[in-house]
Amino acid sequence: MIESKHSGETLWALLKRRAVSRRDFLKTCAALTGMLGLPPAALPAVVAAAETKPLPPVIWLHGHECTGCDEAFIRSQKPLASDIVLNLISLEDMEVLGAAAGEALERHHHEIIAKYPGKYLLLFEGAVPTADGGVSCMVGGKPIAAKLRAAAQNAAAVVAVGSCAAWGGIQAARPNPTGSVAVSEIVGSRPLINVPGCPPIPEVLTGTVMHYVLFGMPPLDSKRRPLQFFGNRIHDTCYRRAFFDSGMFVENFDDKGAKAGWCLYKVGCRGPVAYNQCGSMRWWNGLSYPIQSGAPCVACAADNFWDTDPFHQRLPNISLPNTIATADTIGLVAAGATLAGVTAHGLLSVAQHRRHKEKDRREGEQNE
Amino acid sequence: MKRIVVDPINRIEGHLRIEAVVDEAGGRVTEALSSGTAWRGLELILQNRDPRDAWLYAQRFCGVCTTVHALASVRAVEDALGIAIPRNASYIRNIIAATQTVQDHIIHFYHLHALDWVSPVAALKADPAATGALQNAILEKYRLPLAGPVELDTAAFPHNPPRATVAYFRDIQAKVRRIVESGQLGLFAAHWWDHPDYALLPPEVHLLAVAHYLTMLDRQRELVDAHLIFGGKNPHPHYLVGGMPCSISMSDMNAPVNSQRLAVADTSINFGIEAVNYYYLPDLLAIGHIYAQKGMTDGGGIAGTLVLGCGEYPDETYSGIASNDYYKNLLLRSNGVVENFAQGVAVAKYHDLTGADLADPAVVVEGVAHAWYSYPQPGDRHPWSGVTKPQFTGPKEGTRTDWKFLDETGKYSWVKTPKWRGRLAEVGPLARYIIVYTKVRQGLMQPTWAEKMIVDQIDAVSAVLGLPPHAWMPTMLGRTACRGLEAQVSAYIGKYFMDKLVKNIRNGDTAVANTAKFDPATWPKEARGIGVHEAPRGALGHWVTIKNARIANYQAVVPSTWNACPRDDAAGHGPYEAALLATRVKVADKPLEILKVIHSFDPCLACATHLYNADGEEVAVVRTDQYA
Repeated sequence: MIESKHSGETLWALLKRRAVSRRDFLKTCAALTGMLGLPPAALPAVVAAAETKPLPPVIWLHGHECTGCDEAFIRSQKPLASDIVLNLISLEDMEVLGAAAGEALERHHHEIIAKYPGKYLLLFEGAVPTADGGVSCMVGGKPIAAKLRAAAQNAAAVVAVGSCAAWGGIQAARPNPTGSVAVSEIVGSRPLINVPGCPPIPEVLTGTVMHYVLFGMPPLDSKRRPLQFFGNRIHDTCYRRAFFDSGMFVENFDDKGAKAGWCLYKVGCRGPVAYNQCGSMRWWNGLSYPIQSGAPCVACAADNFWDTDPFHQRLPNISLPNTIATADTIGLVAAGATLAGVTAHGLLSVAQHRRHKEKDRREGEQNE
Repeated sequence: MKRIVVDPINRIEGHLRIEAVVDEAGGRVTEALSSGTAWRGLELILQNRDPRDAWLYAQRFCGVCTTVHALASVRAVEDALGIAIPRNASYIRNIIAATQTVQDHIIHFYHLHALDWVSPVAALKADPAATGALQNAILEKYRLPLAGPVELDTAAFPHNPPRATVAYFRDIQAKVRRIVESGQLGLFAAHWWDHPDYALLPPEVHLLAVAHYLTMLDRQRELVDAHLIFGGKNPHPHYLVGGMPCSISMSDMNAPVNSQRLAVADTSINFGIEAVNYYYLPDLLAIGHIYAQKGMTDGGGIAGTLVLGCGEYPDETYSGIASNDYYKNLLLRSNGVVENFAQGVAVAKYHDLTGADLADPAVVVEGVAHAWYSYPQPGDRHPWSGVTKPQFTGPKEGTRTDWKFLDETGKYSWVKTPKWRGRLAEVGPLARYIIVYTKVRQGLMQPTWAEKMIVDQIDAVSAVLGLPPHAWMPTMLGRTACRGLEAQVSAYIGKYFMDKLVKNIRNGDTAVANTAKFDPATWPKEARGIGVHEAPRGALGHWVTIKNARIANYQAVVPSTWNACPRDDAAGHGPYEAALLATRVKVADKPLEILKVIHSFDPCLACATHLYNADGEEVAVVRTDQYA
């Protein structure tokens, strides 16, 4: 193996070493500024960050997962996944894409940890099984839980990639046969960023990594999710929101309302409780998201969403003030429709907060 | 003799461990062991859920072949409930499946398999001008001039041809050099780049392949734009029991599917055709030809003795799978079993496999002699009476949580051993190609356009290699080659169903969902169904049992269960193990050939090992298996 002589260098130093011109460097910074959702005035800060912050090596491990998050990562086009892995981070250990396997890869894994204590970024995809000593997920002949624990100890920060890593995900749904838990329950006090989603939107994942590289830890909400990507509900950013407010709903799949692109709330849409970027960034730089293709949102980035089924059952009926009642009737009351919609929205927010408090309740959770 | 362990096996989906005993003098593999080292218990999690949600959970078996389990799942539930989907929904599902196959195969070749053949370090020695010339020569010599029917030819000219300029290759090479010299090799770190097999290809082939690795990394997502139009996202697009959620309207402002949205899908399909015809197939055939000329045609295993497939692409909609109606108008009749293809297509033996066989408990059993499970009585069990009781026995050497070597004489994998009439079978693109070729060449069926194209492809490649099909197909090389050939057919299948979709909408049919039986009140108290799909990695089957509007039991038998299974004491080694036993390893502590032959199967281990239950309860009331 060729030893690195360049640990801790800046993005600008790296780009210089790879013969990228100052002009191209600034263009890269401008693209990143837009990608991170910052105003153009923030460009100097991005340039300064890129010139002064060290570039960490990255280790990406896999537990109980389906590899969908890796696929999401390589779907990122702004920034391009190739630009990230070749120019912006040093992805030293990554089973799914890396050339090396077996003992050579294991040895390299330990070398990176020993060489960059406190400097490498650890990405972990998937849940961590804990039942029976963790023998349901063995890598290199050892439980993945042990590997994660050891790697996290000296990581600068840990990124829990996807809903499985952030919350436990599908294998932790009832009856959770493997005793799977979230990464947060293994890594203790290490700095942790949760990037949920099944999978995350590609640019949300790469955007989080880039934020860390350029600025350090991103501002997080109480569930350790980056605020810039998880601060809005899909319901509030959805292009079909006006139909909700007007009481114009899809009643059955492929009905008149479905063809007209009306609100999917009554066929089970979880947009009102889903914190994600689907409504604003959408998938693949604006091309689509489930609701745009006529499919109700399942809130795939929400904690414990797998046990909020059945998914075609709508969120709870909300009683509205002044007996205007529910989504079944608000559309019929023309004058009160908009007001009722807004009120329903507010009440659903309250419902959402209540749900968060009940996150440990995994059994039999229904929406009504 | 040296016992080597490769764990983790990289560039796959899921967790796989290989152990092999290598005779260092001759490089022969004398023993090989394939172990799936993880399981998640998803079928147990599916129990008691709403059958209309099953696709959403089952889809998470795998995110690489994302969408395939959702498709098998909605088919199984619809089969159980007697729901026939509208034409448009069938066409759209076929478009999703075909584009998924194209994209999955391309990612496999360039990003999961290529680094077994191609080295960025070797690319440094290439002459950029000669590489440009090589690109031109490859396109002249190795393009396969076959095509499917294209009625609405929307691609005016090649929009994305490969670059063959000297400046481009010089700059790519300079970039690779800077990475290598920096010491920060990232994805290319710690690999056995000094392995002698990398010297089999000229430096210019390495540089060309590295350039296309990067090109396809940038472009692969565009191959499945159709998934975003019809399913909203990828990985894991959305489905609907009864059809698809993407309503079609040419007269509403916000319809999920309208003329412009169809154009997005169509443009993506056109790009798939171009990516296969200009990049994937020429690159594959050029490299494969060199390997064949150097006699590197090992790694076959049981492909030459037994392969199995389930059939795909209902040309029009159908009423059921268990009832056999599904099999009456398939575009790709790869359903069946072929024995002894390695002895020549004329003497190979074909066995039928349709819905009736899938429901017959005499055809398939599962054994656990070498899997970490125990049965209440000795012997194998038919899936319908299957029992899943874990019995983790630990390794031969080492501890339960720190393995040195696993025990090939005992239990050593979380994957069970499925058997067809007591024998083990290989599935996948190679299996499909062997089955279709045998059925057509033996006159057992009149080929559809897709089947004729497959036969023409096989004959064309045989001519290029100067070898008969039975010599080159059941090998590591043939496995990789048939995957590329299948990408070409699949690209045109996507176009074919796009044409049908447009034509049907033009005829005034915009329905995408049959919701007559969406309400559980319309369902029988008990029902069971089968869903099949020829997934990129091979034959896939889902079995669902519904009671009182809930999933009573859910089982899947997936491609990598067939291919990665541990041995059977009577039937012998499974496909991975048998292929390894037919492989020579030149340098025991750098077993590149092991990666190459295992990657030729495109392993997908989270799919293969999701079946099992931690608590030792009986999982299967009806342990279903599509080959039963």
